[in-house]
Amino acid sequence: MGLRDGATDGEIVRAVLAGDVERFAVLVCRYRDRYARYATRMLGSGDAAEDAVQDALVRAFDHLADCREPDKFAGWLFLILRNRCFAERRRRTRMERPLELADEAFAASGRPDGELEQAERSQALTAALQHLTAEQREVFVLKHVEGLPYDDIARLTGATVASLKMRMHRAYDRLRELLQEHA
Amino acid sequence: MSAQYHPLVKRLLDGELSLAELPAELRAEGEQALRLIRGVDRAPVTLPATLDARVMATVRRHAASPVRRAWRRLTAPRDVELRLRVRPWTVWAGALAAAAAVVLLVSRAPAPSSPPRDAGLPARVASHDSVYVRFVLYAPGAQRVTVAGTFNQWDQNAAPLRPAGTNGVWATTLAVPIGQHQYAFIVDGERWVADPRAPAVDDGFGRRNSVVAVIAQGARTL
Repeated sequence: MGLRDGATDGEIVRAVLAGDVERFAVLVCRYRDRYARYATRMLGSGDAAEDAVQDALVRAFDHLADCREPDKFAGWLFLILRNRCFAERRRRTRMERPLELADEAFAASGRPDGELEQAERSQALTAALQHLTAEQREVFVLKHVEGLPYDDIARLTGATVASLKMRMHRAYDRLRELLQEHA
Repeated sequence: MSAQYHPLVKRLLDGELSLAELPAELRAEGEQALRLIRGVDRAPVTLPATLDARVMATVRRHAASPVRRAWRRLTAPRDVELRLRVRPWTVWAGALAAAAAVVLLVSRAPAPSSPPRDAGLPARVASHDSVYVRFVLYAPGAQRVTVAGTFNQWDQNAAPLRPAGTNGVWATTLAVPIGQHQYAFIVDGERWVADPRAPAVDDGFGRRNSVVAVIAQGARTL
């Protein structure tokens, strides 16, 4: 069975549940990069994102029978990854200061001419994102990195559009504050 | 400079307004906010190809683990189909029993202070849970007629009927508990006769039993 499997997610999930474990590789191939950017921006590190995606995929396999709607595997997997990212953030908050690189990135944003290069600006923003709450960061990543409208984010996360907007607007203010502080 | 963006600028960042739609005094703030958003790194992220192999190796190990297999069997939700084979008579019996129970609970009437004054079926309320019912049988030439049923544990001597006149009509009035009852008359101590005025059911032993439903308002043949 090649990985260019044209079967739907639901068909593959049912096949795996029926005992065809190898078909799970199709889902791994299909979703590992799709959610890698979200995990990277949420965790601020490629290595952490890789661990999170790997862990989410294995958890998804272990609990595949709990996937009530196999045709919506993607959303179900996203929730597993999301929980994993939030748990990782909580663990880091307890264990260490969030992202040592942040200050360096902010320092780079303070160029005398005030005109940031795109890469520097991006680096500063990426670092600033790590200082948002996990909920604020998530809505920012889903809207401005993944490009999802509020309605889709609400469906994915279970939050209302109103609460998502509130989180986002607080995130804007916090980002402005952070980038000004370090400018 | 305020640390908070103006609400209209936030709507600009949300994509609900364009820069041109902002008031002139907010445009500079809007441009600055848009520069912030332009710093978003939307570059795709590609994870190492080795991730697939690592995931699948773990998955195969988990799939082969007898403990995990047993756990999956225990915890996997399953569709369970329950089939109930019901004979039609049980449905009717259940429905009648339910109706009798409802009648018993809802329609209890106070006991009268005096016995029934007139004959005929149905009769009057005898107590909180019984009603006077008049049993009548036309049995010309009979020496003795009794009635036995579920209301008197089929005791063929418990409820004798008396001649009502001289034309062969026998009758008695009994306090019968509310509910559905089967009964039969016994003529001269040996001949079991179903009530010709009431419906009858097979008693399972080759005889026919009459059926009466006793409710608080009286007795009713089904």
